[in-house]
Amino acid sequence: MKLIITDLENFNIAVEGEYKLINPHGEVHPCIGCFGCWVRTPGKCVIRDGYEGTGIEMGKCSELIFISKCCYGGLSPFIKTVQDRAISYIHPDFVLRKGEMHHKRRYQNIISLSAYFYGENITEQEKETARNILEANADNYDGTVKTVCFYQTAEELEDIRL
Amino acid sequence: MKIILANGSPKVGDSASRIFLAYLKDYFTDQSRQQPEAVLRDEERKILEAEFHAAHIPEGTMEELKSADALIFACPLYVDGLPGHLLSCLMQMESLLRNPQWQNPGLRIYGIVNCGFYEGIQAQYALELLRNWCARTGLAWCGGIGIGGGGGISMMPAVEGGHGPRAPVEKALAEMTDTVLQQKIQENKYVSVAFPRFLYKLAAQAGWRQSIRANGGKVRDLGKRPEE
Repeated sequence: MKLIITDLENFNIAVEGEYKLINPHGEVHPCIGCFGCWVRTPGKCVIRDGYEGTGIEMGKCSELIFISKCCYGGLSPFIKTVQDRAISYIHPDFVLRKGEMHHKRRYQNIISLSAYFYGENITEQEKETARNILEANADNYDGTVKTVCFYQTAEELEDIRL
Repeated sequence: MKIILANGSPKVGDSASRIFLAYLKDYFTDQSRQQPEAVLRDEERKILEAEFHAAHIPEGTMEELKSADALIFACPLYVDGLPGHLLSCLMQMESLLRNPQWQNPGLRIYGIVNCGFYEGIQAQYALELLRNWCARTGLAWCGGIGIGGGGGISMMPAVEGGHGPRAPVEKALAEMTDTVLQQKIQENKYVSVAFPRFLYKLAAQAGWRQSIRANGGKVRDLGKRPEE
């Protein structure tokens, strides 16, 4: 299953195979750093606003696809907030991976990460940051990076096939 | 000199970000701890605090920024980047800063990003996001600190004289104070608490076990895989 997280309210992109879409459908509450998703309701965020189950969906997917406005080389606030709220995908315990401390797996699925960024005049520095962050995300999720690409507008994305 | 300390933690109460900003405030106001060339007279110094706990700019912050010399963000690392709520504030600020009414070309930006992981270097991309935000807004990025082991800082004893587990962090913060007061730029610095990594890992994991029990759960529940 492909899990697509996007800030596009109107999603008009062709997707092959089974997928689940998370896009804006009401306000997303920011993560409050309580770690309740690890120690109160393990695996699920404690804030009930319709976005609490992203960590569970990540546990079922083989591909995680971000379609986001590029904000300084990172995800847009909506998608970043959804991602922040999904740390329950990983286990609180630590492991060493590539010589650095990361979190242990909770699930056994290996996620292949992709990011499709859109925005006018994305700078080379921002593109480099975006690629680096996606690699770092893959290390944290113990997954892999499939693709990172950039478009001038969200409309251009309607020609792609996920 | 007017310095604004921006707390970008989502936590309104105690947080590592608050601890680090409190250090900075102490250093800024304690002349004996500063390099002689960085010392300012009391009347020349104004330290303000701005609480960026939610997805909107704290009231009055933009007005204060117009006449500020330095803005120092401190926040936790959230999934290799900045917390979503702080990112939202930065975008709102970028939008406002396009208006000449809010512009202040002399404003210098510094960042402190702390992570629960042991290695401070893991905060490097969050600092890059702040740097890239500065490039978009026309503000001067003047460097930052990536702090590893921030999750345990509140439980580590403060020891005087440059010793103890907090010492490398305190040293980096003291150096940043001088950099800010001298209106200089620093390369990003990456530090970790002076505490062995394997013990830090064990202590953190013992903490999760204690927390889940305190919440009425069992240790094995830490690894639960809910279906929906």
